Amino acid sequence: MNISEKTINNYTIISLKGILNASSAPKLKTYIAGMPDEQSLVIDLENVEFLDSSGLGALVGIARKKRTSRAVMKLARMNERVKKVFEITQAYTLFDIYDDVSAAAEV
Amino acid sequence: MKTLLVIKKQEYEWLIDLLPGVHPLLVPICNKPFIEFLVDFAILAGSDALRIVSDGVLGSVEHYCENGSRWGVEISYGSMRPADDIYTVIEKNRRFCLEERVIIISGFLFIRYNKKSEYASLFTSLPSGELLSCPHGSISLTGTSTTKTETPGTLPFSLAALDSIGKYYELSMEILRTGLTHYVIPGYSSEEDCYIGRNVIIQKSAEIIKPVIIGNNVQIMTNSIIDSNSVIGNNVIIDRESFISGSIVIGNTYIGEHLEVKNKIAAGNLLIDPESGTSIVMEDPHLLTAMTQSRVAGALLRRVVHALGATFLILLLLLPWLLLRPILGLQGKWKRKREQYFTRLPGKNVTLTNTTIECTGVLSALAKALSLDRFTLLFKVLSGKLALIGNQPLPVNPAIPLLPNTHAVYRPAVFSYAEAEEWPEIGIDTEIVEHYYAVHSDPLKDIAMTQKALFYRTH
Repeated sequence: MNISEKTINNYTIISLKGILNASSAPKLKTYIAGMPDEQSLVIDLENVEFLDSSGLGALVGIARKKRTSRAVMKLARMNERVKKVFEITQAYTLFDIYDDVSAAAEV
Repeated sequence: MKTLLVIKKQEYEWLIDLLPGVHPLLVPICNKPFIEFLVDFAILAGSDALRIVSDGVLGSVEHYCENGSRWGVEISYGSMRPADDIYTVIEKNRRFCLEERVIIISGFLFIRYNKKSEYASLFTSLPSGELLSCPHGSISLTGTSTTKTETPGTLPFSLAALDSIGKYYELSMEILRTGLTHYVIPGYSSEEDCYIGRNVIIQKSAEIIKPVIIGNNVQIMTNSIIDSNSVIGNNVIIDRESFISGSIVIGNTYIGEHLEVKNKIAAGNLLIDPESGTSIVMEDPHLLTAMTQSRVAGALLRRVVHALGATFLILLLLLPWLLLRPILGLQGKWKRKREQYFTRLPGKNVTLTNTTIECTGVLSALAKALSLDRFTLLFKVLSGKLALIGNQPLPVNPAIPLLPNTHAVYRPAVFSYAEAEEWPEIGIDTEIVEHYYAVHSDPLKDIAMTQKALFYRTH
């Protein structure tokens, strides 16, 4: 999985590309752990080809960590494959999900 | 033009308990799913794209509507959080709402319209802002008008909130009596006020009185009477000498012999009085029965695989349990507590002995690592009361004697999927992983997950 980063307003935009599963989730967690806890994030999921329960667990873990640090984590541009997993697990109730990265980084 | 439908779960939740098994957005109104009326209205208003946003599950709605190609409109789906207001929802769907005029329909509302009216030009000329509202929702418009025509004094559509079974019934009757020509109603109609679907068998002696709507694959047996103001859904059997009047028979329902259903809603084995909202569950399978597909075969295979897995674990752990249990018991490190837990079957509970091992010392650590605290529960797998792996058993709460509705797929088990995935074993997080595996698991995967659960409990 490739991780790229840019900044819009005060948000760090993390773009993920590839598969987010048990083997790649630790990479994402380590990457996020390297940032200040109070840094708000938008995770762009447009190019995530596959997401499993471990990947979802990583996203839940990051969101929980950000919440305790009074920062924000939002998700943006979910593709149909990712949306399916969120639908099945009803995980969408935990996240703010945007269809546009710049809208997510504004509010 | 685009249309954004924003419907919160709390607005339609009341329907889930009354008509279980049908998503509230797919509940039929005069045999046409509710969502289709909104799709039709959006198309009449000139929309070429429609987005349905909700904080509830939209899986079955998505399965039914797909991408909208059937109606020649692009349908997409979005999610929101329960606390989101309409402005937040618009922000979350900014890419969809950008550049074009968007009709925003917010709330669990029925829109009364007339398919013969001209809405497309009206919506392009109306100024942005709220067009109509009622206590349960509104219709508003964003973007600037492209044409300039005179705005009519009263709009050629109105809103009806759907907030009780009484309103649902009234609305169905209103359409049946006066509005059948205003909407596209499914079925064949050679005369006004009578719509009949495909593959309908009506015995010679049966009597049908207009206005009436009959769905597909319906059998109306000898000497039955379908009186006026009745809606018979798809796949319904009305057995001989029964009388249906002013009633709605939801799809997949069997109405037994010699029954009189008057001003009621029959759905599976439920008979609902729309006036009071009370419902009766018919226990007798020969009266009103739900015709649902059996899932016995898959469940049986899973049960066999789980029983084999449990037998293997019992044989493996029997000797360590016989050796360590008395020692830890004497040391006071083996603590037991009996509690009542929900089973899969509604209204039935199971008493389980919860064992906790105080983790001080080598022997107790060994017992814990071997999962000996779950040893006695394995016998419940053999008796079919628990699964080997599945949901964490939910303790019975005297305040809530029935299993909460949120646990649609509930399989209490010795080991949980959350343990196997090393997820936190509390709250919504556990539900997420359990929902995931409720859909993605199979008996063989369950064995692999049990191994994972055992491994993670060890470490």
